[in-house]
Amino acid sequence: MGALGLPLCGVQRRACVRGGGGGGGGGGEFRLNWLLRGESVLYPLPSGEEPPNTLPDPPQHSSLPFSEQIQHPTASLIAKVATAQDDITGDGTTSNVLIIGELLKQADLYISEGLHPRIVAEGFEIAKEKALEVLEQVKVTKEMDRETLIDVAKTSLRTKVHTELADILTEAVVDSVLAVRKPGEPIDLHMVEIMEMKHKSETDTTLIRGLVLDHGARHPDMKKRVEDAYILTCNVSLEYEKTEVSAGFFYKSAEEREKLVKAERKFIEDRVSKIIDLKRRVCGDSDKGFIVINQKGIDPFSLDALAKEGIVALRRAKRRNMERLTLACGGTAMNSVEDLTPDCLGHAGLVYEYTLGEEKYTFIEKCDNPRSVTLLIRGPNKHTLTQIKDAVRDGLRAVKNAIEDGCVIPGAGALEVAVANALVKHKPNVKGRAQLGVQAFADALLIIPKVLAQNSGYDPQETLVKVQAEHAESGQLTGVDLNTGEPMVAAAAGIWDNYNVKKQLLHSCTVIASNILLVDEIMRAGMSSLKG
Amino acid sequence: MAGEVVTLQLGHYAGCVGAHWWGLQRCPPEGTELSHAALLRAGRDGCTPRLIALELKGGVGPLGRGGARPEPLAAWRGDVANYAEPGTGTALRDRGQRPGDASADADCGSGAPGEGAAPSAGSSTQLWSDYLSVQLHPRSIYVLQQYNHDGDSGRLEAFGQGEKLLQDASCMEELEDRLHFYAEECDYLQGFQVLCDLHDGFSGVGAKVTEVLQDEYSRKGILTWGLTPVTHTVADSQKNFYRVLNAALGIVHLSAHSSLFCPLSLSGSLGIKPQPPIEFPYVNYDASLNYHSSAVLAAALDTLTVPYRLCSSRGSMMHLAEMLSFSGRKVVAAWAAVPFPAVRGHSLPDALCAHQQDVPWKLLSSCKEQKVSRCFAQSVVLRGVCKESPTSCPGQQPPSPLHACETAEQVLQYYLHTAFPGAFSASHVLEQPCVTLPPYPRIFSPLLSRQGFLPDDLSSYSAAAVESIPVLTSLQSSPVLRTLLCDLCKDLQKLGTRRCASFFAAGVEEDDFHEALQELRTLSQCYQMGFEADNSEDESDSD
Repeated sequence: MGALGLPLCGVQRRACVRGGGGGGGGGGEFRLNWLLRGESVLYPLPSGEEPPNTLPDPPQHSSLPFSEQIQHPTASLIAKVATAQDDITGDGTTSNVLIIGELLKQADLYISEGLHPRIVAEGFEIAKEKALEVLEQVKVTKEMDRETLIDVAKTSLRTKVHTELADILTEAVVDSVLAVRKPGEPIDLHMVEIMEMKHKSETDTTLIRGLVLDHGARHPDMKKRVEDAYILTCNVSLEYEKTEVSAGFFYKSAEEREKLVKAERKFIEDRVSKIIDLKRRVCGDSDKGFIVINQKGIDPFSLDALAKEGIVALRRAKRRNMERLTLACGGTAMNSVEDLTPDCLGHAGLVYEYTLGEEKYTFIEKCDNPRSVTLLIRGPNKHTLTQIKDAVRDGLRAVKNAIEDGCVIPGAGALEVAVANALVKHKPNVKGRAQLGVQAFADALLIIPKVLAQNSGYDPQETLVKVQAEHAESGQLTGVDLNTGEPMVAAAAGIWDNYNVKKQLLHSCTVIASNILLVDEIMRAGMSSLKG
Repeated sequence: MAGEVVTLQLGHYAGCVGAHWWGLQRCPPEGTELSHAALLRAGRDGCTPRLIALELKGGVGPLGRGGARPEPLAAWRGDVANYAEPGTGTALRDRGQRPGDASADADCGSGAPGEGAAPSAGSSTQLWSDYLSVQLHPRSIYVLQQYNHDGDSGRLEAFGQGEKLLQDASCMEELEDRLHFYAEECDYLQGFQVLCDLHDGFSGVGAKVTEVLQDEYSRKGILTWGLTPVTHTVADSQKNFYRVLNAALGIVHLSAHSSLFCPLSLSGSLGIKPQPPIEFPYVNYDASLNYHSSAVLAAALDTLTVPYRLCSSRGSMMHLAEMLSFSGRKVVAAWAAVPFPAVRGHSLPDALCAHQQDVPWKLLSSCKEQKVSRCFAQSVVLRGVCKESPTSCPGQQPPSPLHACETAEQVLQYYLHTAFPGAFSASHVLEQPCVTLPPYPRIFSPLLSRQGFLPDDLSSYSAAAVESIPVLTSLQSSPVLRTLLCDLCKDLQKLGTRRCASFFAAGVEEDDFHEALQELRTLSQCYQMGFEADNSEDESDSD
């Protein structure tokens, strides 16, 4: 490992690596030591059972905010780049960390021999331009049909969860994005609700074409299962509360008081009866169901009245579910009961309640044309749920990226090998010592196939040489087959990465690595002048 | 039947007060006057507080004694074997599970061996989870991983940081989910009581939380208590400035979004200059310990919140708020006598007669007391005194007009009428005292008997642990608050924005600050008494 002491090189070891002074060895220990004053870094790494086809990403949504807690300036900077990468593309965070670390390490080899960082940075810049060119050349523009999207999602998800689960998630993720996609509009992933349920095993995770609410009807007489139901979504208070105007009660006797309270109650009862009227109108004598989902409260009296009419009522629906409800079932959310018409009702084929311990869930399924769907994540414990949730989020982003890019890039390290090869060929065209920067860049990129090989238990160097030879021979984009350790044609195996992830990677890694090198130089100069 | 209330504890000190408060409610005596359903939810396995507690990383220890329930085994279909840990803890846990259980009460009364002693005020009471004696629902404690409770770095110091925390979508979603969990199952939700730390960044968190509550649950009461621990010696002036700024911004925002806001602290002042902490005649507490100071506040809080927790009354949190917050006076002051000085064997009229001149309570709102006792409106609660029937026999001339009243309520009402002529006073009298069993600290003077009464003759006193105390409290909309708010305004003006540049870098805009200052001033003017001759103060305000 380099003298830079970057904790992140430890990714290869797949363990929790203590950073800071973890580097050791090498000639350039004096450098970047201003960076090493920070405290140690813990970089938790996932350890799935199955060798992934690309790099493992750190568990993001839960742990990326940890960039704020890293005190080591370089590490914190790199963690921030990873966070930015996650925000923009949703994937590629580990690659980011690896490449920056490796760029610094390669640069250090040259710098310790006296090369000025400025020249290395120049070389990096030239190499980046060339790499982007290669990226444009190798990208595969094709129609994003379900097959391709499943390949993309599979590539992303298999790095995060084990294969069996990944395959289940893949289909669910792709289908959910396809369901919420509207032609000509950007995809809104918020329309895919992710619902956790601590129950059964993780392979029971499913896509619900509709909505799951984590509460149930609060009246014992309401049906637990309704088929072919009208759905009324509304935001109307159906509970007796003190009116907003602080009118004091003025009464002389108990009867008078009762009368006043009744008058107030009447207000709510009128609202309830309007809903009941509508139910009678649309359902008539048929055995269709009627569900009321209200954002405000419904008190026991109102629930009772509704239950008598065979209406199932849910109270206090979450605000963020209100929009989804109308998208999933159709209809419009009503803010008053004055102008209720059959047009504002939605429809669902099946609504049922599911009780799990203390918690109740209401499934609204079999919607006609759902524009909002739910991924129901199941797992035996909190940890598994979080893991799946993160994986699903990344999968969704990957599918969305692929649809928006309209093109994909062969994965499994194939791109990196191709770019490195192209850079070595390009090197003679570069004048002067900047060549060395280009070389460093080419070498640094190869960390990706190397780590892939190592993670799957093969000798990194041997595998890399094989892959490079195969690439040079066939001219095809060759990556590492993690099951055999042999080269394979990534495109044929259906391993696809996102185009914009790779593009973002090349851009940000170069910039950050160059900046760290240059700032380091300035800091060192500053320190020596202080001493003198 | 009182409606349900959801409690939120924002911050560490709020956690301390909360921990004691839940402990006080643990084992009520027979014939409960207070409704348990108001604050506790009956789950499948026992009662747990309807509570959401926000804490920072490291602020909650292992919840060994009470703590979070083990995860439900709903999904498991196989055999279940239970292994109970013998020894300490189990008895307390049982008590927490069944607050009304008679056997548990007997257990409390006799003091099980090894359980009777309050935790010594040492290392074992650093965190509030150390003296939490009830079980919490697994959804109750929400630890914010972004900031540290302890240590030098990563502290939640400024109002702006707190606000920003809740702008994060995932954090907000989590909070909304938890709120929804408790609110959805309530049949008659009457409102929320928010215990919020004022001295650190949690005032910003509170500002956001109350905003969400107001937005989402309109027409429900939001009663916010702004808590501050006793300020230690001012070592770090920067920290002191932060504290004042947080408190000021907190008061402005929290009062704007709540139905009623009450600053509650044993500290003598919220301003830059520290004042000695408030002292009670029969309490010897160590002001530097959160464990002690929060216990006093919890006893006061348990009594102050009585009006909307009564089984019998129809009063709700909203009623209480509307009664007190008349004409924009949303900030109220809390007064309390912990314990209420009553001599054993004396009846309520006797006890009150002893304090004809001066009400024996102390102000808990970090402000200098004024001798003039005047207020606009107040809600007074007295508990634990009136067990003894009036001593006056029929036929005899009652020794004072107080003795002529028939019911305890009337006695208190009459007394308040003479003490605060012209003010609107609502009063409640409760038989049940405030039960101060361990882990409540033993902070009471040895003069007090087991039931917290003074002995008839001072020579004889038993050094028995005090098991319950009578408490008198009042929630007052009073002119004292004008002084509090004005002083804070002056302090802020003196401070200016330049000396705390880093505070404003953390998210509060300077314009917002000046706006808040203006609002604080407007708020303080609400408490001006028409006939008050305080022109001098006005002049100093205008410059």
